[in-house]
Amino acid sequence: MEPPVVTLTECSKRFGDRLALRKATLTVAPGETIVLLGPNGAGKSTLLRLVAGLLRPTAGSAQIAGVDATSAPRSLRAGIAYAGHRSQLYRGLTARENLELHAGLHGQRDLDITALLNQVGLGDRADEYIDGFSRGMLQRLALARATAHQPALLLLDEPASGLDADGRLLLDATLRAGLGTRTQLVASHDHELPERLGARAVHLNAGSLA
Amino acid sequence: MIPAALAIARVKFVLELRRREVIFAMLLFIAATIVIVHFALSGDTGAGSRAAAGMLWAAVVFTAVLGLLRTFAAEQEEGALDALLLAPIDRAAIWIGAALAQFGFLVVVEIVAVPVWWVLFFQAGGPSIGTVVVALLLANIGIALVGTLAAALALGARTRDVLLPVLVLPLVIPIVLAGVTATYGAFGEEVGGLRPLGFLALYDLVFVVLAWGTSEHLLGD
Repeated sequence: MEPPVVTLTECSKRFGDRLALRKATLTVAPGETIVLLGPNGAGKSTLLRLVAGLLRPTAGSAQIAGVDATSAPRSLRAGIAYAGHRSQLYRGLTARENLELHAGLHGQRDLDITALLNQVGLGDRADEYIDGFSRGMLQRLALARATAHQPALLLLDEPASGLDADGRLLLDATLRAGLGTRTQLVASHDHELPERLGARAVHLNAGSLA
Repeated sequence: MIPAALAIARVKFVLELRRREVIFAMLLFIAATIVIVHFALSGDTGAGSRAAAGMLWAAVVFTAVLGLLRTFAAEQEEGALDALLLAPIDRAAIWIGAALAQFGFLVVVEIVAVPVWWVLFFQAGGPSIGTVVVALLLANIGIALVGTLAAALALGARTRDVLLPVLVLPLVIPIVLAGVTATYGAFGEEVGGLRPLGFLALYDLVFVVLAWGTSEHLLGD
């Protein structure tokens, strides 16, 4: 049996007086897809940010491939993608420029950005500043950015918010394409998503894993 | 690391060219300061010229703080800093890229402000412009390095607009002292010469090493 990609052990995170995540223990196997379900404020985003190494646990540990997530080396970070509530893009750049920057930082000089933008339905808006993009368009572009470097671990935080029907189909297709080959953690309010994907559902409530 | 730092600095310049949020405010501030001091000194060319020489350094530092307040503003709008932190690059590249941009902004501002300062105060002879330019360039490096480091420290604080000047100003006092000493020395009346310039270079070196070693932790959680 292969070692888990993600291991949370008694992992807690406190912001001031508020305990956002309480002693969460979770392992995610390579190629496994998990859908995190729970109401607003349940701790889904905190859990994903801990796994991404963007937050340091207050207690316990968050590891990726056996390494502390906050000190993951560059080689490990190269295989991680995280798309959060915000698009993680530069508002003053065009869609193409944002993806060019991302590709450059990931050493993907040959990435076909036009094809990638066409894939998420933004081909005709490639050279527009994203300042004028709607929430759904930003989500599509964030999805393109997150999957551009073919990550081995994909972390998506409520990726369907703001997406129209076509956008949701695109998201489902992206997640389906990763089933079995990519480790995926998706925070969602869509209780049917685990069934649609054939994925494991994990419930969070008030910072605790059910 | 250098290509990543240059890519980040380039983005910041492109954004500044399009939005004109930082340099315009900095230019307005430094020009206003120079003009106000010019009128306050009433064109005095004796001790007033030397005061004006010192004033330039105070104006440069406060102008720099104005720019530093926006150091990571573009990264915070849509959370782009998260993407940079997760990119397979040395995290020092994020800090170096931001510092390069701040250095560039300061140089652009000084290219406009220093000639104005010179014309207003030193028509009848002033300090050696070569020494002043070298001192300013070395000081710009130090201010950009220290300021970006402080901006990273203040990043998570709710009161970062207040915290940043509180962190930066004490750290740049040695730069101002060395800059003023170099400028006075450049009048050709006092001993000083290369010593303050050497101090500025050493200060820059120390903060390069310090910031390099700490940027991994500063830019994380």
